[in-house]
Amino acid sequence: MYQAGLPEQKRNPYHEFYADDFSPREHYRLLWDHIRAIGNNGLEAKAHESQLALQAEGVTFTVYGESEEGIERIWPFDLIPRIITAREWAKIEAGLKQRVQALNLFLADLYGDQRIIRDGVIPPELIYQGRDFRREIVGIVPPRGIYTHISGIDIIRDEQGEFLILEDNLRTPSGVSYMIENRVVERRIMPEFFNKYRVRRVEHYPSLLLDALRSLSPRGKDQAEVVVLTPGIYNSAYFEHTFLAKEMGVELAEGRDMVTVNDIVYLKTTTGLQRVDVIYRRIDDDFLDPLVFRSDSSLGIAGVINAWRAGNVAIVNAPGSGIADDKAVYPYVPEIIRYYLGQQPILNNVPTYQMTNAQDREYVFDNMERMVIKAVSESGGYGMLMGPSSTPALRREFVDRVLENPRNYIAQPVVYLSRHVCYMDGELEARHLDLRPFVIYGEGIEVVPGGLTRVALRKGSLVVNSSQGGGSKDTWVLAE
Amino acid sequence: MRYLIEHETALEYPAAVREHHVELRLAPRENRHQTLLSCEIQTDPAAELASYRDYFGNLVHYFSVIPPHTRLVTRLRAVVETCKENPLDFLPAPAAEQRQWLKSELSREPRLNDFVLHRSDAVPAVGKLAELLPVPLPEFDEKETVQDNLLGLMAWLPRVLEYRTGATVVHGALTDALRQRGGVCQDFAHLFISVARSWGIPARYVVGYLDPGIHAAGEQLATHAWAEALVPGCGWLGFDSTNALLVNDRYIEVCVGRDSHDAAPQRGSFKGESSGNQPTVKVSVLDQTQEQ
Repeated sequence: MYQAGLPEQKRNPYHEFYADDFSPREHYRLLWDHIRAIGNNGLEAKAHESQLALQAEGVTFTVYGESEEGIERIWPFDLIPRIITAREWAKIEAGLKQRVQALNLFLADLYGDQRIIRDGVIPPELIYQGRDFRREIVGIVPPRGIYTHISGIDIIRDEQGEFLILEDNLRTPSGVSYMIENRVVERRIMPEFFNKYRVRRVEHYPSLLLDALRSLSPRGKDQAEVVVLTPGIYNSAYFEHTFLAKEMGVELAEGRDMVTVNDIVYLKTTTGLQRVDVIYRRIDDDFLDPLVFRSDSSLGIAGVINAWRAGNVAIVNAPGSGIADDKAVYPYVPEIIRYYLGQQPILNNVPTYQMTNAQDREYVFDNMERMVIKAVSESGGYGMLMGPSSTPALRREFVDRVLENPRNYIAQPVVYLSRHVCYMDGELEARHLDLRPFVIYGEGIEVVPGGLTRVALRKGSLVVNSSQGGGSKDTWVLAE
Repeated sequence: MRYLIEHETALEYPAAVREHHVELRLAPRENRHQTLLSCEIQTDPAAELASYRDYFGNLVHYFSVIPPHTRLVTRLRAVVETCKENPLDFLPAPAAEQRQWLKSELSREPRLNDFVLHRSDAVPAVGKLAELLPVPLPEFDEKETVQDNLLGLMAWLPRVLEYRTGATVVHGALTDALRQRGGVCQDFAHLFISVARSWGIPARYVVGYLDPGIHAAGEQLATHAWAEALVPGCGWLGFDSTNALLVNDRYIEVCVGRDSHDAAPQRGSFKGESSGNQPTVKVSVLDQTQEQ
């Protein structure tokens, strides 16, 4: 899939598993020995077992292709775990805490005094032309000034093995159910692996999440009715919505199951109206409240923003959070960290070109085969140009699109994501991957030790999104 | 001047609707040219009203009617005193300093950027308008003051747009009005705003009422709309290009926004089969100045 001049073999992506051609990295040695001991037959049996387990558990996701209707697929899981050392994790954890803290201060400032704009650190256009700056919520201060209670931040490793932040997902990040299901399946099929390593737990995520959600209840922690608000069965993450509601033991509801009366949100139940204190919403701002945002939305709850303003209900993540993970804001995050915390970023960004800058733009147009061009308010790998595998026609189309609306695009040099051993159809092969750890900001900031490792299943591909044919691995963070 | 304003909006539904939530932007604004002496809002069916101030400083009243109903009426009764007799009663900043004046206002109050940067179908980039116009767009003359340029713009508007009752729909695209060379006050205001913004001058959309004595021929008495621009040395100055007048004490300002969408007097959401008919709106503006 690579263009001439950039053959994959001439690039040298970091290999997570192997130190060189002959030996694994130190922390993979036990695993390596074990894999060699059980051999291909052993692996094949385990792969088969993992398929059965995922099927039995009903772990699925939905792919949207050419047809409007999604296709439900069994979650693609690779049985060889990815291992992250305690030392590596300490840096990731500190970097993510710092980033999430700074981004929340940034949001509180944007929806408040806008000091960062007054001080000339952020150009006003960036915010005022951002699709996700929500004027409707300016002046509302959420409890403790926290906007992003749940973040799923994508991390990659560059060719030197350095962890870099690829994307901040602060709206309704998904994937955490797969992080847990991967662990459940891995434990079942490879209990012996776990005996060899001290792997930190991730299965307690739902209870951490429930604690954080309950801590936001306007009626206090002990009187906290929590609901998971889903757009419904056609949403690609519906599996996760049901999973989290079930694991937390709370109601799963659609907008039409709730009603706002005099600034209080109620769930309609068979025994009458039941007050709702915390809404963990898994729908976008646009659809959250037809009275305030898109009036044609039938997925939301009319009046919920006014109830939130009145302090009678918590909405998680807070409306308006999306402006902080706008891809055009992303290049400014290192500055944002310095501005609010007076610290140097612990984890760096991927170098990013801003299409509003004429010089950057020319450079990108001249080097499109080496670039990824992303639409700023899209996610899930949609609206993206992967330079190395693009056709000249598609590149021309993107030049036009960028010129039409430069604020809407950024570009990054293609980063050759790190690789890892995967068990693919009877062979051990290298595939590119990334990592999405989950950060919960409740009474403190907590990073769950692990995350969703996404794998680009196609050989050589750098696209890991499950909506674009990506797979996954269990992710082990080692205790000291 | 003192005005009594009565504004009634009736919504009828062929089949009952329920869980009806409404936001009203009807309360006249308070500023140094305008004092609100009284303001009452009633609804039928009766509902408990709450209020908040929105991003643009408008006072928003909201309420809900949960049980099924086929009719919803809101009534505003407000008494307002206005005092801007001469809109040009200020010392204009010299032409040479006015750009600097605007720049420092924008950095002092970042939110003003909205009124320069915002584009929509209602207020498109002027590049999209030029081809629809029979004459060239007016250009900003740096040797003149901002208000003289804007007065020139107001005088230019009738060359491309003619007032025609019912020519366009509420929140319609400006290009529709320009294609047919006709529009209502909304379109005049939007065109004025588009051009002012292309000059880098903050401009905003205003909904309000007008003294019945100065209504455009044929215009039904309802709400009116005009544009305000930020004028160096003055602040917000109102341009009613529909009537080719500067806004004075015979105008009552209710609601402002980036365009007509932000300043819609009533917004609602309900559940039910029917889509609802056009609302019936009755407005009366009574000059009470003599009664003081």
